Amino acid sequence: MSSNFLAWIVLIPLISSAFLGLLYLYSIKFKKVANSVFTFFAILAPISSFIIGLIFFISLANGATDYMYEPYTWLGVNGYIISMGFLGDKLSIFMVLFVTFIGSMIHIYASEYMKDDEGYGKFFSYFNLFMASMLLLVLANSPIIMFIGWEGVGLCSYLLIGFYFEEPLNVIAGNKAFIVNRVGDFGFIVGLVTMFFYMGKLGFDYYALQDYVSLVPTPVLTIIGISLFIGAMGKSAQIPLYVWLPDAMAGPTPVSALIHAATMVTAGVYMVARFHFLYDLIPNVGLFIAYIGAFSALFAAIIAMRQTDIKKILAYSTISQLGYMFIAVGLGAYSTGLFHVFTHAFFKALLFMSAGAIIIALHHEQNIFKMGGLRKRLPLIYTVMLIATLSISGMPPFAGFFSKDEILLKAYIHHEYLIYAIGLLTASLTAYYMFRLFFITFEGKNYTNKKIEPLGWSIKAPLVILAFGAGFAGFIGLPEVTGATNLIDDWLKVWSGSSLHVEHSQEIIFMSISVIAGLMGIGVAYVKFFKYDFNQEVKYSGIIYNKFYIDELYDAVFVKGLQKLSVFIAVVVDDGIIDKTVMSLSNGFINLGRRVGRMQSANTRAYAFFMLVGISSFSLYLILKLG
Amino acid sequence: MTDILFLILSLFALTGAVGMITLSSTMHSALSFVVTVMALAGLYALLSASFLFMVQIIIYAGAIIALLLFIIMFLNIRQDHTPKEPNKYMTMLLIAIVLAPMDYLLFTAFARMPHIEDFSTKIDNFGDIKMLGNALFRGWLLPFEAISILLLVALIGSIVLARKKERR
Amino acid sequence: MIEASFMSYISLSILLFSLGIVGLISRKNIFIIYMSLELMLNAINLMLVTLSKYFADIDGQIIAMMVMAIAASEAAVFLSLIVAMFRLKKSANIDDYNTLKQKGTL
Repeated sequence: MSSNFLAWIVLIPLISSAFLGLLYLYSIKFKKVANSVFTFFAILAPISSFIIGLIFFISLANGATDYMYEPYTWLGVNGYIISMGFLGDKLSIFMVLFVTFIGSMIHIYASEYMKDDEGYGKFFSYFNLFMASMLLLVLANSPIIMFIGWEGVGLCSYLLIGFYFEEPLNVIAGNKAFIVNRVGDFGFIVGLVTMFFYMGKLGFDYYALQDYVSLVPTPVLTIIGISLFIGAMGKSAQIPLYVWLPDAMAGPTPVSALIHAATMVTAGVYMVARFHFLYDLIPNVGLFIAYIGAFSALFAAIIAMRQTDIKKILAYSTISQLGYMFIAVGLGAYSTGLFHVFTHAFFKALLFMSAGAIIIALHHEQNIFKMGGLRKRLPLIYTVMLIATLSISGMPPFAGFFSKDEILLKAYIHHEYLIYAIGLLTASLTAYYMFRLFFITFEGKNYTNKKIEPLGWSIKAPLVILAFGAGFAGFIGLPEVTGATNLIDDWLKVWSGSSLHVEHSQEIIFMSISVIAGLMGIGVAYVKFFKYDFNQEVKYSGIIYNKFYIDELYDAVFVKGLQKLSVFIAVVVDDGIIDKTVMSLSNGFINLGRRVGRMQSANTRAYAFFMLVGISSFSLYLILKLG
Repeated sequence: MTDILFLILSLFALTGAVGMITLSSTMHSALSFVVTVMALAGLYALLSASFLFMVQIIIYAGAIIALLLFIIMFLNIRQDHTPKEPNKYMTMLLIAIVLAPMDYLLFTAFARMPHIEDFSTKIDNFGDIKMLGNALFRGWLLPFEAISILLLVALIGSIVLARKKERR
Repeated sequence: MIEASFMSYISLSILLFSLGIVGLISRKNIFIIYMSLELMLNAINLMLVTLSKYFADIDGQIIAMMVMAIAASEAAVFLSLIVAMFRLKKSANIDDYNTLKQKGTL
């Protein structure tokens, strides 16, 4: 496999996106193009990328060295050279594999979900562009190329969140996502520029940076590390930049699945793992990341406990799970974090797509308190949702158990007991709120029987495939106690961090503790919600329901503050000072012109006389001066 | 001999000039200017610029002034076309006073130049057509060509300006 | 007897030039203004020729010739302008040619 096929992984979705966009324009301007045409090309792109990725994967597994492809020099100024380049190492191909796989599943699912939408072709054009941006982000060989993908992902999320743009609230949600991401991106740019300034001399790809990083003083590295992490906060929705993610539910459900499972939010985790050589040198920043992750996990889990919108609950669970990932990468256990990224992609995609299926089946009803009793009527969804819920709750032997348990274990090994405690508490809360969602949706009594829309095979098939993933994806990262090799640690050896070991008996104890914590959460949810009476009044209030008023706080501090500042600048500074100065200056000239204009009498002789007076006075001056 | 000629010619030149700027009739004024131009031609001859002497008579007296007289007669300038200038002598006096410093400056500036004894004596061939032509076509070729283009432009310009507006 | 020296020519030239300026500014008749301009050109020509003799350098006479050429082209353009303006205003008074006068306020 020649390395230039790396570029095709990115190019195929990109070309497909452009093609679909043009086809869509043709479709609305001239002749209607059948949906099946769009579907064919839209699904072909991620699957082709997946197949190419798979070939690279096999080749790497057979011991090939990292693939590097630099088609051309993008920028070359005075020795600073930035090449357009692609890097296919174990990490990026690993990311490519599951991004394209989950992406393909979501594409297939979306082909049915969106079938009645007018913007069908536009939707898939955006979708493929999203895939292309994410793949560019993953496959880039230098931070600057990564940044192209990074921004592309932000753009696509904006386009897709605001996809139903007739509704102003959706547009606001899209703007919010974009603006909050801009805040994060600013941090990323600061980090990028600082890095370029200090390390850009010997080429700017990851290899060169890795060689150069030890020569840079630690304070600079700290600044770079924190700045880059601010970018990750924005993309991966961590405290304090998480506010866009729940609002991002305004987009169509497949978009939520794509953002939360395969792309975008995992970009932050990937970025930190990609810069492992940098973060390895600054463990304090790593610890900061881990704590941010831990608090995000807990905070989002608490908010999720009281939400009523099925998609919002899942959105907060994403923030919470991303918190886990940041705990892992912050503590230097990158492979563990990426393992959780991997399992999370499966069960979160599954959860979102199931939620989408329920929403479709119930004619766009998103409030879980208006569902209930769906077990009998949607048995397939019930089954796959159960698998996904057990998986996210960390129940063995489902995928989430292995990855989450390993993260908690890593926290304990690194003697970060507070993080461990928060993680454990969050695990329990996760089990609680997920089963609250599950029981209210599928069980309960006195629910109203609504008419169910039948679901097509292209919704069901991806669900079943992903259900297998959510069930068994964990087996690639079996813990040591089982005696099997941890395939993912093996594959991402460079990123597995310091290998601290615990005794097997201790490991089993920790496993049991997390299972018990999860079971407690499930138990409480069972008691409270298994026989939930839908006739009772639903409480839509309280501090947790209102998300701790964080949105309102941000609104009051940042949005209102900025508005006040803008008004101040517009009214006082602009009108009062700048305009006044400029206007008085121009008025002064106008008045001067009026006065002087009287001299323009159109009397030619007067002009000549003025000239003569000038010459005379100058002569007089010369006479007096020269004698 | 040249001194007497100079005296007579300068007297004619000044009289003509004064007449030109004071006479109220346009026609008289133009005829008075002819006297000045002719006197100047004579002075050029005294300054051993024999070619310029001819050019002055041909171009100034023969062409420019003739053209001017022609235009005056062509437009049929009558007394009521020309402006009334009741206090022109007072204006002239005022201007002459304002002008005095410049004249003084020029005069003193030239007076400080080194004195030459034999100013009136004639230099051989100086200012004749051969010498002038040599200098013109060796050192002044580019200005000469530029002048020729300028004359062409003036020709076209005057035609455009003086043409009667066609109604479209 | 006055000696026809360098200074006498220069003085004559300055005098003629001043007379030209006086005529230019004091008179309103456009033709006389034009002739005053020509008088000034002639005065300068005289000075150039005098200096040419003084320095025994032919360039002064050549410049004088150029001035004459310019005066000729000027005559052509100026007189056509006068013809055009006279047709327009039916007047030879320069004070009537005030099309560029500022009308009203800004």
